[in-house]
Amino acid sequence: MVLYDSATLGGSCSGSSSSSSSSKPPPLQQRQQTQQDIDGLLAGAGYRVRSSELRKVAQRLERLETAMVNSPADLSQLASDTIHYNPSDLASWVDSLLSEFTQPPTCPSEFIMDPETNQTVVSDAWTTAEPHMPQVHQNISYEQQSLNNQLTVVTAMEEDSGIRLVHMLMTCAECVQRGDFSLATSCLEDMQGLLTRVNTVCGIGKVAGHFIDALSRRIFQGIGGGTINGGSAYENEILYHHFYEACPYLKFAHFTANQAILEAFDGHDCVHVVDFNLMHGLQWPALIQALALRPGGPPLLRLTGIGPPSPDGRDSLREIGLRLAELARSVNVRFAFRGVAASRLEDVKPWMLQVNPKESVAVNSIMQLHRLLGSDLNRNSPIETVLSWIRSLNPKIMTVVEQEANHNQPGFLDRFTEALHYYSTMFDSLEACTVQPHKALAEIYIQREIANVVSCEGSARVERHEPLSKWRTRLSGAGFRPLHLGSNAYKQASMLLTLFSAEGYSVEENDGCLTLGWHSRPLIAASAWQAVSDGTADFPA
Amino acid sequence: MVENHSREDHETGGENKEKRPKFFINDHVDILIEILERLDGRSLCVAASVCRLWCTIARNDSLWENLCFSHVSPPPSSVRSVVLALGGYKRLYTGCVRPVRSRLGRVRRASWAGDEVQLSLSLFCVDYYERLGGSNSNGRLVEKSSPSSLMFLCKPVNV
Repeated sequence: MVLYDSATLGGSCSGSSSSSSSSKPPPLQQRQQTQQDIDGLLAGAGYRVRSSELRKVAQRLERLETAMVNSPADLSQLASDTIHYNPSDLASWVDSLLSEFTQPPTCPSEFIMDPETNQTVVSDAWTTAEPHMPQVHQNISYEQQSLNNQLTVVTAMEEDSGIRLVHMLMTCAECVQRGDFSLATSCLEDMQGLLTRVNTVCGIGKVAGHFIDALSRRIFQGIGGGTINGGSAYENEILYHHFYEACPYLKFAHFTANQAILEAFDGHDCVHVVDFNLMHGLQWPALIQALALRPGGPPLLRLTGIGPPSPDGRDSLREIGLRLAELARSVNVRFAFRGVAASRLEDVKPWMLQVNPKESVAVNSIMQLHRLLGSDLNRNSPIETVLSWIRSLNPKIMTVVEQEANHNQPGFLDRFTEALHYYSTMFDSLEACTVQPHKALAEIYIQREIANVVSCEGSARVERHEPLSKWRTRLSGAGFRPLHLGSNAYKQASMLLTLFSAEGYSVEENDGCLTLGWHSRPLIAASAWQAVSDGTADFPA
Repeated sequence: MVENHSREDHETGGENKEKRPKFFINDHVDILIEILERLDGRSLCVAASVCRLWCTIARNDSLWENLCFSHVSPPPSSVRSVVLALGGYKRLYTGCVRPVRSRLGRVRRASWAGDEVQLSLSLFCVDYYERLGGSNSNGRLVEKSSPSSLMFLCKPVNV
């Protein structure tokens, strides 16, 4: 039986060596098991501590001191001789004492994770405890409890790493904004090291990984865009298609816009829809079907689809047009298609659309207008040009769907912060999708957006998202007045969302516009506009 | 009393066995159709595996038309030509109406009944369009043979 002096604990291990040197020699088996790596200096003082555990034991002794100093309980119970702890096995002794003090583990991030072995300390100490030591038997339950503690502590550690990642991302972005690229580079290295400790399959780790990539692209490859913007149109279409399947944002956009166009075309027999980004034309079958079934019969429908030119001589726009025409023929809707190939929307001129003055025009822009907001020094923003020729077509309705985010701020740090929040939410919502390969490719689609927002500048940065409030001001200033989307659109959107198995989506009505969001953070906003007919623009008050 | 009754039955039963013909439902296809028209989707599929006659009848699209519009007022006649062009009522029901209805049934809004069918029709149309793409284009778009835009309906719902 060995007594110890509580007053001399804390600080160095050798403080109480004089009063606690073990008088009996250790049994033979024990000596054989542990002789390899016992620290020589401490062994001279009578303590058996493995060299590999020195750091952990020291940390825990510090914790024990803190716990004892702060403990409200009467310390004299520890001095009772009904429980024997052998302090010569310092590691287990400290653990058993700590178990008396701590119910919830304190300071999880500093003591549990051993950076060398990446294992929890507690398990190391207990699985290698000598079997004949008396306290092992009574502390089996402690082992269970400590294992439970270690599980919760590991999760806390991971959350901690996630929070640290976010802080480091912000620091790095701030360095980039200041122009301090050397500090930014070292930040990047730290973050990449931290990434190995976090789960990168989901959650903050995955999003952080994409942002780290984008930052390193900016720092090392410059702001010209390079490989991100160099993706072929074919690739983009495939990624877009998978994004369409994986989450409801595009479906919401299509269905809401179609409902608004359908209502605007009520009573008109000759209608013309201009689609600013045809892609695979997935929006239009539903409109064709709805027009086919409308009371009074279908109108003559003309569709003009704008899209990038296809590189290998294949006329992809025409192929889509043929498919849509076949569908329209099956449901007895008179249909005509025209494709306009343009690599940028600002290159399109209104005469290319060949609008007949007798027909009712609808202009449909799904996430295209924000690409026009970039302005070079030598010319004005193309947005004003495009909006004015849209207005000159006098459309019955213009449907605008845009990302509900503020990614066009001049300051890089603000943009970065906003993008981090926005895309974290979007990735959260994507977790609900379990269908592969949609999910993986949808993530690549979003990743490209992130890379463009973060790592590009000037004309290369095309993802210049602006929130609904700014679009309202801009469109009102350009001579459009808002059209309310109506309860049918809202009902349809709500139904559509209920079909998706994730429970986090929410549709909200925002002064006549509809927004779709994840857990009350709106991510995409749909609105409808009509050209003011008297020829003068409505200037904001 | 009971003994008398049973004796009478026995006597009359013997006579009736020779006089009254047995009733086979398969001999009365019109009654069979009437009955099958009132079944729900799952029972109708089960019925289709009873025998060849039942299978032929159960595959008749008009039975599935009744199922699609069972909760709503009869649609205008133009709907039928559209649905038939897009693949038929059975496909509409099994692919769209039933999953839509079961998903939306959790929310239980009575006012949505007619719109459920509308939404199902729209989704059905997109599905038809995608199927068109698989067969016509040169493998450019949809690589998978099964329509993909409805797959989100087939996923198990995690509540």
